[in-house]
Amino acid sequence: MKSLYSEQPTWLHAVPAYAKLAILALLGTGLFFTDQLIALSVSSLVCIGLFASLGRVTANAKPLLMGLGFASVLIAAFHLWMQHPVLAAITVLRLVSTTLMGIALTLTTRYSDLLHVFEHVLSPLNRLGISSERLALQLALMLRFTEHFFILWRRLDDAHRLRTGKAGGFKILAPLTIQMLVSARHVADTLHVRLRR
Amino acid sequence: MNTSSLSVALVSLFAALIAVFGLIPKIDLPLGVPITLQTLGVMLAGCMLGPKRALQALLLFLAAVALGLPLLSGGRGGLGVFFSPASGYLIGWPVGALVTGWVMNLLPTHAPRSAAISAFMASALGGLLVVHVFGVVGLVNIANLSWEQAIMGTLVFVPGDLIKCALCATVVHTVARGLPDWRLGG
Repeated sequence: MKSLYSEQPTWLHAVPAYAKLAILALLGTGLFFTDQLIALSVSSLVCIGLFASLGRVTANAKPLLMGLGFASVLIAAFHLWMQHPVLAAITVLRLVSTTLMGIALTLTTRYSDLLHVFEHVLSPLNRLGISSERLALQLALMLRFTEHFFILWRRLDDAHRLRTGKAGGFKILAPLTIQMLVSARHVADTLHVRLRR
Repeated sequence: MNTSSLSVALVSLFAALIAVFGLIPKIDLPLGVPITLQTLGVMLAGCMLGPKRALQALLLFLAAVALGLPLLSGGRGGLGVFFSPASGYLIGWPVGALVTGWVMNLLPTHAPRSAAISAFMASALGGLLVVHVFGVVGLVNIANLSWEQAIMGTLVFVPGDLIKCALCATVVHTVARGLPDWRLGG
């Protein structure tokens, strides 16, 4: 499973992950509480400029940008149809600013750096008995088995196609789920032996 | 079997299953109705794992999405998706899974047929109603729709989600027969 992170260095790669997350959180909160068109326009222009300054790295985000464009057009068209042009502008400007910054952060921040920040942020939960260290182990297990279950789904689909001449569709969901539950028991046994807990 | 290890394994592997549901192309039902499967994953998590583990599985999945992994259907991921008009639905997933698991835990699951009926009711309440309530709140706040417009917008997806509730019940029925010692609803 490949992250959306880009190895190609940009100036934003050098900014620490916690600083980027803090700026994103402040920006998202700030934009949520303002309806001033001028402020939102300036914010959008700055965010578009900042995103464009990343150069060729932005090509990796093409599907995400297409999704953003589609959502913006849909929302703007709806508000314009309802005779609310100012509301259309406010909503789209807010959406463009926050989403572009979220994408920029994802493209320029390593998975491990974000994970480190997440673990640090979640560390107060340790007092409640929720282990933040467990997050890394669970993410690793999840990624390992995403690929495994995808291959399993394709095998089940192929087998169903051979038997019936049709794609498996929803008929292979139950066997896939059962295989997952059985795999979980095996993995639990292995973890118990290795981690002694 | 140690419950701590089992929890870690179940939460991680179910999050992986939900990720796979995002990779599987949309499924065409017999009448030609296409559906995507990730909200079905929310319903199944609640029915199979119970409230606490289902909540953890969905939080783990969303953490992986936030970390930049393209796990949502269509290859979407990263923090940007949490600012999109549909983010209310995403945030509703863990709560929907929690409620589904909680309701499943209260309803009878001793026989495959009763387990399937319980799964339908639990997923309709948690995976459908709760998720749509969060979705409507997201549409009102992010897309600036009025409550009536947001409710009308979300109602379009309800028939498809009812089909997913039925699919969830079918899967639970098969699991109850195939793995009779599995404790449905946690």
